[in-house]
Amino acid sequence: MISELSRRRFVENLAASTLGVTVLHNTSRFGFSEETAAAAGKAKNVIFLQMIGGMTHIDTLDPKEGPTQGPKAPLKTNADFMLGGTMENLAKHGDKISIIRSMTSKTGVHASGQYIIRTGYEQRGTIKHPAMGAWAEHFLGASHKTLPSSVCVNRQPNNGNGFFPAALSPLPILDPEAGLQNATPEVRQETFSKRLALLDKLDAGFRSRFQTAGVKSYTEFYENTVRIMSSEDLKAFDISDEPEALKEKYGRNQFGQGCLLARRLVEKGIRYIEVASNGWDMHNNIDEELEDKGVELDIALSTLLDDLKERGLLASTLVVLCSEFGRGPKVNQNGGRDHHPKVFSTLLAGGGVKGGFIYGASDKGGFEVADKGTTIQDFLSTIGFAMGLPVDEVVMSPSNRPFTVGDKGKPIMELFA
Amino acid sequence: MKATACLFFALFAGSIVAEEVFRTWTDTQGRKVEATFRGVEGGNVFLQAKNGYVYRLPLERLSAEDQKVAATLKPEGLGIPADPNLAQAAAKIDMLVNAGLTKANQKPNPLASDEQFCRRVYLDIVGRIPTREEALAFMNDTSLSKRAKLVDKLLNSPGYNSHLFNYLADMMRMADVANKGRFYTYQEWLKGELNKGTTWDKIVYQMITADGRLLDNGATGYLLRDAGMRLDNLSLTLSTFLGANVACAQCHDHPFADWTQMQFYQMASFMGATDTIGYRNAGSQKSPEMMAIRQALKDEDRKFQQQARNVIRANAMAVHDTSNNDLVLPDDYKYKDAKPGDKVQPKLVTWDKRDTYLRSYQDTKTKEPEALRKEFAEWLTAPDNPRFAMTIANRMWKRAFGVGVKEPVTDIDDPETSVNPPLLHHLTAEMVRLKFDLKAFMRLVYNTQAYQREATSFEFEAGTPYNFPGPILRRVTAEQAWDSCVTLAVGDKVDGFTNHRGEKYASAMNIDISNPETIADQVRGALMAVRQAGTAAGNGKKVKGKKKAAMMRRMEESDDEEGVATRPPTLGGLVLARASELPQPERDQHFLRQFGQSDRQIADSSSDEGNIPQVLMLMNGDAQRVIGSSQSLAVQSASTLANPEEQIEALYVSFFTRKPSAEEVAAAKEAITGGVTLSDLAWVLFNTREFVFVE
Repeated sequence: MISELSRRRFVENLAASTLGVTVLHNTSRFGFSEETAAAAGKAKNVIFLQMIGGMTHIDTLDPKEGPTQGPKAPLKTNADFMLGGTMENLAKHGDKISIIRSMTSKTGVHASGQYIIRTGYEQRGTIKHPAMGAWAEHFLGASHKTLPSSVCVNRQPNNGNGFFPAALSPLPILDPEAGLQNATPEVRQETFSKRLALLDKLDAGFRSRFQTAGVKSYTEFYENTVRIMSSEDLKAFDISDEPEALKEKYGRNQFGQGCLLARRLVEKGIRYIEVASNGWDMHNNIDEELEDKGVELDIALSTLLDDLKERGLLASTLVVLCSEFGRGPKVNQNGGRDHHPKVFSTLLAGGGVKGGFIYGASDKGGFEVADKGTTIQDFLSTIGFAMGLPVDEVVMSPSNRPFTVGDKGKPIMELFA
Repeated sequence: MKATACLFFALFAGSIVAEEVFRTWTDTQGRKVEATFRGVEGGNVFLQAKNGYVYRLPLERLSAEDQKVAATLKPEGLGIPADPNLAQAAAKIDMLVNAGLTKANQKPNPLASDEQFCRRVYLDIVGRIPTREEALAFMNDTSLSKRAKLVDKLLNSPGYNSHLFNYLADMMRMADVANKGRFYTYQEWLKGELNKGTTWDKIVYQMITADGRLLDNGATGYLLRDAGMRLDNLSLTLSTFLGANVACAQCHDHPFADWTQMQFYQMASFMGATDTIGYRNAGSQKSPEMMAIRQALKDEDRKFQQQARNVIRANAMAVHDTSNNDLVLPDDYKYKDAKPGDKVQPKLVTWDKRDTYLRSYQDTKTKEPEALRKEFAEWLTAPDNPRFAMTIANRMWKRAFGVGVKEPVTDIDDPETSVNPPLLHHLTAEMVRLKFDLKAFMRLVYNTQAYQREATSFEFEAGTPYNFPGPILRRVTAEQAWDSCVTLAVGDKVDGFTNHRGEKYASAMNIDISNPETIADQVRGALMAVRQAGTAAGNGKKVKGKKKAAMMRRMEESDDEEGVATRPPTLGGLVLARASELPQPERDQHFLRQFGQSDRQIADSSSDEGNIPQVLMLMNGDAQRVIGSSQSLAVQSASTLANPEEQIEALYVSFFTRKPSAEEVAAAKEAITGGVTLSDLAWVLFNTREFVFVE
């Protein structure tokens, strides 16, 4: 079941798009000019690529020469900036991407870092904060009539709904090649219906005695799931009918196939797709690790940009590459790099964002921010702005505390074309 | 699906246990005691005094009048306790809980029914639902001491260790594979300690001080889990075992708490002379030792070289102390008290100025680098460490109630901000009194009235104080759900299989890496031995794709007794063993992971939330098929009964540990008349909220 609120918003949204009405909430606080305000809302879809473990900025998006340079020398791109030596394919897409090289954060701990880059808030024992996909669904309504509005690939959903109803939590696909498992009942439809009817009857007493959020959300999930099971849209999750050649092109690994699934889900109208890539915590022998994970990223991301572009989806799809923090400029005694939240890099492409653009800078060695320090809150607000979310609108949690998309960060207007 | 209110349940929820009644009891010699009546059993009467102590005296010692009263009075509370001292200690906890409730102007929940109690203690203590036989045995037991007896029986059964292992494995991120090494011996070591009943302080002490190779000494697994990442490891040690919220101080002064980055590094200095990067420099591919091995293997094919690297890594993973404490401040250290790169002297943190007078601080006279780690471990696990006992007591309380006295359990820097500080301090004192014997501590908690009350049915908002009117309504953990599925399928045989991968793996893998000349042959031998051990144990290999589908169709179950002893039973393609005996963590698509088992990357990260793939799995996955099949014990034993009423009741007892109401029987019977089978009914019960939540 979609909550009443999101159902209403869905209808409103549908009306808005068919009637050509555009509602812009998010121009008030920052006093944007009409021109920049027009950039808002171009990203109908977002593919959020999260490198789990802390992606080394120096070896990928913010290459350095000199004592802090990694195993490979920086590479020239087709734009007027350089990329890390492993990014051979991405170098040909420099004209499609923007890089923020002045990201900075306060936490060097994986769990809390990953939490902040998904939600914009620090992890607390007292409240769960929503990830961007849930924020978008809250403001814009469901992106599809049966499918969920957010999907996360290669990772558990980990409370992506935050304090919003559990129905706003992203649907997890833990293995993109396997897709959505167990989607068809084993018994005939008639028997299945009988089972459901009896289930409703026999469980009614328990549900009325224990009206807790946990019990209610399970009931919602059952309703949503039954609806999806009987829908044609199930095929969205099945990449088996994608051409073999394309699967190869993305890279036959979980991240590559996850990117392919993400593109497919964008085509089917799912708004917010997170794809995780594990294994970026490179404390030891970073040269070997980059041959593995770095190459994987380079190939998958480049193919994704090509694929979206060819299908005419890049203009309306924002591709984001990020990580919980960067890695230290100094190579440690084990040939690895340690956690480095002080400065790191993120990438944005499509969805109204400029190509061939570098925002901000780190210092010569990649130790600290040298120009235009950007917080994770600014970064998430930028994504929110690109999606047309009212980033300054205060939303009260059920416990009556005020929250905003990206925790009062400031969208970076220079990034928009 | 619309939730319709049902009269039966409304009445059920409304039943209230009477307030405790004290009366004056007189014995034959005229001595008096003010006490509640707990019952008569075996010719003895049990009376609980106001201080909680339970007197047991022969019935004929009571005055004639009181003997008459005892014959007619309804027993109060939880029935007859296992021992008087335990009852008194439990009553003390109840007094503190009740004081907290009174202060918040709240009332405790009514006591749970026998059925609710039975299902809850099975799930909480042994991690699975009871079988139908076990449930009926408890329901039909008329003795007044049956609750206390069941708690004791369950605490002393193997399921207790299995269930506690699952909790600790999540807390300490125990994974089969970490840093490209296999950690089987670590798991086996912990299971062994739990089986032996080793106390919590000793377990932690062993992990922090463990020396040698992972293959030889599983306890080294704790430090090797974070090999080469000693700061992260320390941060987890402090938050997990001491509830010290220091993670931020790793990189900068803590914004809220009092921790400074200097304090963090002073603590880290205790680990500064401990090397985890590998025996004979094997962690570094560029060390002379490894170069020599590479040279010796250079003519082998690439696949073999890769396999050889894995075998060598397994043999090289080790912890040892050096004479050099190389811990220095980070390059970006920005405070005035020292400079980046400065050496840091070890110094224990304090939570209070007076802490330094405690014996555990006085005993620490750090001098030799080799001894630093041991001194740290002694301080960490000392009974008078200001937070060690409190942290584990608070965690164990949370296991029973679903919420800690102080939340989150990884931050108890200020116990006075907890929901009930006197309760937290008392639980800490009890943990020390019981010498960190977790089983004894849990026995105490399970014998409180607070624990044995009905689950709270209202929604309690995260962040608002919960005063423990009873446990909260909890969704079962992934491991509880899985182990319960296996119980439905094979009954109490669920506890029959234990794997011993660690021992087999260690003996197969063990080679001498100091001799590059023979390395290739040794590696071949090790690979062969591992393959053999893997086949004999019947695990370690994932069955995939077509082969798996074929296996599922075959519905194979081994009746061979010897076979069951070495390999777990399988049914419908599922390995029917306890979660603790399966891969850690299970593969992504397995029931356990879909239901929220932690990926073991982040501490305490199992999930109790639903999602669409999980519900699809519950409705259409392997588990429901196996449980609903005619070969599952629950369905099979129900099908042998004569009439539908009995069959329905049998399934209700198997799934819910209770008999169905008349309305439920009527509804199920009507459905059966309409063509619903027992398999369908099993599917229905499996998919209810009642099945996945613990009352």
